[in-house]
Amino acid sequence: MITVENLTVRFSGSTAVDTVSFTVAQGESFGLVGESGSGKSTILRTMVGLNRHWSGRIIINGMDARTTRQRDLARTAQMVFQDPYGSLHPRYTIGQQIAEPMLINGIADPVGRTAELLDLIGLGAKFQFRFPHELSGGQRQRVAIARALSLSPRILLLDEPTSALDVSIQAEILNLLNRLRRELGLTFVIVSHDLAVISYMCERLMVMRNAREVETLTREQLRASDVRDDYSRQLLAAS
Amino acid sequence: MTGPLVEIENLRVAFRNDDGSWNDAVRGVSFSLGREKLGIVGESGSGKSLTGRSLLGVLPDYARISADRLRFDGIDLTTASPKLRRSLRGGRMGMILQDPKYSLNPVMNVGKQIIEAIRIGDRKLSGAEARRQAVTSLEAVQIRDPERVMGLYPHELSGGMGQRVMIAMMVVREPDLLIADEPTSALDVTVRTQVLSIMDELVTRRGMGLIFISHDLNLVSKFCDRVIVMYAGRIVETLDAKNLHAAQHPYTRGLLACLPSIDGSLEPLPTLTRDASWLEAAS
Amino acid sequence: MTLLTEPAADPKAAIRAARWKEFRSFARRFFRNPLGVVGLFIVLVLIFVAAFAPWIATHDPYMPTLTARLAAPSAEWWFGADELGRDIYSRLVHGSRLTLLIVALVIVTSAPLGLIIGAVAGTRGGWIDAVFMRITDVFLAIPKLLLALAFVAALGPGIVNAALAITLTAWPPYARLARAEAMVVRNSDYVNAVRLAGASEFRIIVFHVIPMCLSSVIVRMTFDMAGIILTAAGLGFIGLGAQPPLPEWGAMISTGRKFIFDQWWVATVPGIAIFTVSLGFNLLGDALRDLLDPHLRQRK
Repeated sequence: MITVENLTVRFSGSTAVDTVSFTVAQGESFGLVGESGSGKSTILRTMVGLNRHWSGRIIINGMDARTTRQRDLARTAQMVFQDPYGSLHPRYTIGQQIAEPMLINGIADPVGRTAELLDLIGLGAKFQFRFPHELSGGQRQRVAIARALSLSPRILLLDEPTSALDVSIQAEILNLLNRLRRELGLTFVIVSHDLAVISYMCERLMVMRNAREVETLTREQLRASDVRDDYSRQLLAAS
Repeated sequence: MTGPLVEIENLRVAFRNDDGSWNDAVRGVSFSLGREKLGIVGESGSGKSLTGRSLLGVLPDYARISADRLRFDGIDLTTASPKLRRSLRGGRMGMILQDPKYSLNPVMNVGKQIIEAIRIGDRKLSGAEARRQAVTSLEAVQIRDPERVMGLYPHELSGGMGQRVMIAMMVVREPDLLIADEPTSALDVTVRTQVLSIMDELVTRRGMGLIFISHDLNLVSKFCDRVIVMYAGRIVETLDAKNLHAAQHPYTRGLLACLPSIDGSLEPLPTLTRDASWLEAAS
Repeated sequence: MTLLTEPAADPKAAIRAARWKEFRSFARRFFRNPLGVVGLFIVLVLIFVAAFAPWIATHDPYMPTLTARLAAPSAEWWFGADELGRDIYSRLVHGSRLTLLIVALVIVTSAPLGLIIGAVAGTRGGWIDAVFMRITDVFLAIPKLLLALAFVAALGPGIVNAALAITLTAWPPYARLARAEAMVVRNSDYVNAVRLAGASEFRIIVFHVIPMCLSSVIVRMTFDMAGIILTAAGLGFIGLGAQPPLPEWGAMISTGRKFIFDQWWVATVPGIAIFTVSLGFNLLGDALRDLLDPHLRQRK
């Protein structure tokens, strides 16, 4: 489903991602773990086309990310951002924001589908006339998930989807994401600094440090503390 | 020194709503603190930070604050003059915030800021002596090359380094009370442990009182002697940190249960069903 | 509340209801600021007077009454009469229309122009930004009144030309302002989200960036109105704005100048009018800034 080969991203002078490769199978949930500055979020942003300057190869569902138009990519992969307070436009109602991607892509009956999506993520259609500032952080993150699902993508890229939320809300969002993955047959790539979240959500994971891959593990290896690298061990011990 | 270091009784903090009514953010909090490590835990909006800030007297001026009793080492803070409160903040009480970037002066190098903090505490100190103390304080927070770090500006420090400098700056004044508001939540996990152990060592050795405010129940229980759990502006439960897992209140139990763990079950996580009666529970 | 529970009934009405709710909360906060209310009152009075000028005025503003030349304020001539015996009160009332006309002309041309240039420059960046902003810098470098003077001198005096001249000097600050906002907004996650949905740059600028620049532009606009009134009066005063016999306030001061020691009211009354209206716009602008400026918004 996703193939990333020798991805390198450079920002003026510094290297944010250094020759990283991984593949994600259809329906799989893949985790990227690392501390701040390890380049994990940059990988996600590059995959969906928010960074221009990169080298290597990114294939998403058979499409080369370098040559595919944004609109074709949009219907395959969507992203959920870390900060639910910054990812919704403050001047539009919830319904307008969820419908926007459908209007851009000419999908039929955006209003009806918005109501369906709001039901799906557990808020209910009545929320479509609220403004973001009337919602709590957890509700906003649900809206962001609904917006990401509006084009029926097959891949969801999640950038620290719960790190700005309280732990009780985190549990609700993680449960929601797992249910959606099961019901809609989605493929996930999840970025997090929290090993426990990744262990709960992902079948395989890659540990990153200083823009490089440290090692790739399966969930079973992680749970059995079967790690080879010292850094992963350190991370595991601290969590 | 007799009596508790901090006594708070029926503390209330309120903010104005759009329509002019008052909205209570802290609703009748009471506790006392000796020379111990006390954790205050709660989710966002539980009033935990406001409680710490009321003690320091650094709430925004549009907040309405009242308390039957708000004492620090026998000094009544509700009637204390702004000047006295300022001098308490500079000397006997210290605060460490989540993000050191906002608490350090961006146009002054680290050394100057620490030296200034030392000399405010003791004006008779010579420059050279203050400098020597500053270096010692940085060594105490395990900064390897203190002479070099003294010359750095805040933006040149990493998160963990910045937080250690903050701790050094607070500790050189030898305050009696340290209030740490989410001191480690902006830090990476591997640095977090280090910063915590430094803080623990300093607080224990100098016999300070510590109020550790955090959303992370497990972290706080590992670090503190006693834990207060807050919900919607009230204290719902006070626990010995050792007995955290024997918590009685459904809110505390819910908070503990909803955390995923590395080797935990893959079943859906238990979520918190908020009960309206928690709002009214006696504190 | 019923609207919220029955969404399918009429989404347009529900969105309108949601916006109305937003507006009411905004109005409540506005009315907590007494100076802002004073400013709003002054501005509303100005608009009212301009709208109903023929009914509010007591005389024909253009009709000379030679017997009443330079008459002092009295029951017949409320604010006195000018050197041709025209009622100053009535001229003042009719002059409010000219003032509003100039302000409106300048605002509807300069604010959108600046807003679009700034939003495009800020969102696109790169060479477009460089070119647009250097042009803006050139206009900012020329003194306001001087550029307006040169422009009017070239096109000939008159109200519309005066307004055009002021526009020419008024748009660069808007462009600067909009660009600064756009540069923040273009990197925000809510813009990234629509970018990921395949939105065109045009759509991003028009529907997502410009709405975020609007509030600071509106605040700036309110402050600017005071400046525009003063510049227009200045042009009128030196004879390059509205032409006689139009009752433009600046021109009225100019003619009254000759009698300032003996018949003080001829120049003073329009002066007070200009002062009051400028003050009103400034107070209103101040109040709006407290509410809308994202950097000053601390309270919810």
